[in-house]
Amino acid sequence: MKIFTLTCDRCGTIVAANELEQRRVMKCPGLNCQSVLQFEDLAADEREHFFENRNEYSI
Amino acid sequence: MKGLILAGGRGTRLRPITHTGPKQLVPVANKPVIEYAIEDLREAGITDIGLVLGNKGRETIQETLGDGGSLDVDITYIIQGNPLGLSHAVGCARDFVDGDDFVVYLGDNILKQGIDELVDGFRERDVAAGIALQPVEHPEQFGVADVDESGMITRLVEKPDEPPSDLALIGIYVFSPAVFDVIEDLDPSWRGELEITDAIQSLLEYGHDIDSHVVEGWWKDTGKPEDILEANRLVLDDQTSSTDGTVEVGAEIRGDVDLDESSVIRNGAVVRGPASIGPDSEIGPGTYVGPYTSVGSETTIHGAHLENSVIIGNAEISTDEKIIDSLIGRGVAIGSADGLLPDGHRLVIGEHSDVKL
Repeated sequence: MKIFTLTCDRCGTIVAANELEQRRVMKCPGLNCQSVLQFEDLAADEREHFFENRNEYSI
Repeated sequence: MKGLILAGGRGTRLRPITHTGPKQLVPVANKPVIEYAIEDLREAGITDIGLVLGNKGRETIQETLGDGGSLDVDITYIIQGNPLGLSHAVGCARDFVDGDDFVVYLGDNILKQGIDELVDGFRERDVAAGIALQPVEHPEQFGVADVDESGMITRLVEKPDEPPSDLALIGIYVFSPAVFDVIEDLDPSWRGELEITDAIQSLLEYGHDIDSHVVEGWWKDTGKPEDILEANRLVLDDQTSSTDGTVEVGAEIRGDVDLDESSVIRNGAVVRGPASIGPDSEIGPGTYVGPYTSVGSETTIHGAHLENSVIIGNAEISTDEKIIDSLIGRGVAIGSADGLLPDGHRLVIGEHSDVKL
């Protein structure tokens, strides 16, 4: 299973794609970080793969 | 080499304690269990640590550990979100690991002797992984490794009916970056998770060598209340105590008692070690704190008899009853019903509590 992540530019917190997709747009979960992270920040091919295999990324 | 501590999971076996906080912060001998993993990594020379968090208690863990500076390590947080398995948690750390070798340590495990030998063994041999093992009485309840004469692993079996050995995987691994490629090829198991044992088995099937290290001394997975008590007992047995607090004239201390400098044992109290008493706590007159008890911070005890128990903190205990083998959560008040009518116990107990009267 391909695993995609996004790293917050400001605080360095790494967030899994499944977490991003679930919230679409989210405040960075790094403590006291005010950055906004979006599923759309992932590369297009990563988003496409994620959607095509969505069932694998949910419980 | 880097370190990766897995601190996801829901902690369901530790309810109700985990209704209000993550299991990795439950204290053992007055220290959050996850700090033992951080200390083991640091003592093995690993200070660049990724901490994989799930959905439960991730803010509390960040508030407690911060950037790791107070523990002389550098922590990067990795948000796994849904618990999609240990291999998924590891896979989320690929950018953090950045081509390095790395140790994976389950955040609710405690080892007596640390991980130095496991890490040294991995460094000395040209292998894709090193796995910590320990002999167990009931291998059929664990992931079990088959090991050849040179200590190399030949196969893994999950909870086998006929175990090939009594050597169980204890949840501590060293990996080369080769593991990320096999994780990409894994499919979720029947329970919908990417299993770490499947990743290791895939490494074997791709022809990689995997070393084993049999851990000497005790190892505890602190997933259940009785495990916390057992881990507390084992750690207190090994502790180097420092009685820095106030012991009033007429108070009695026997054995190793670690007493924080801000805490007090009052005249008429008896504390028998090994025991640990955290900051800003008071052991009042008529109290007996018996062996293998840890009393957390900001706790007051008057008149009770305590043994083999963990009081997490901010508790007030003012009964003269005997409390043994107990795990008592934060902010709990246990009083006396003496003189109250009608006669009987009076309880306010949350979901999943376990009380024996």
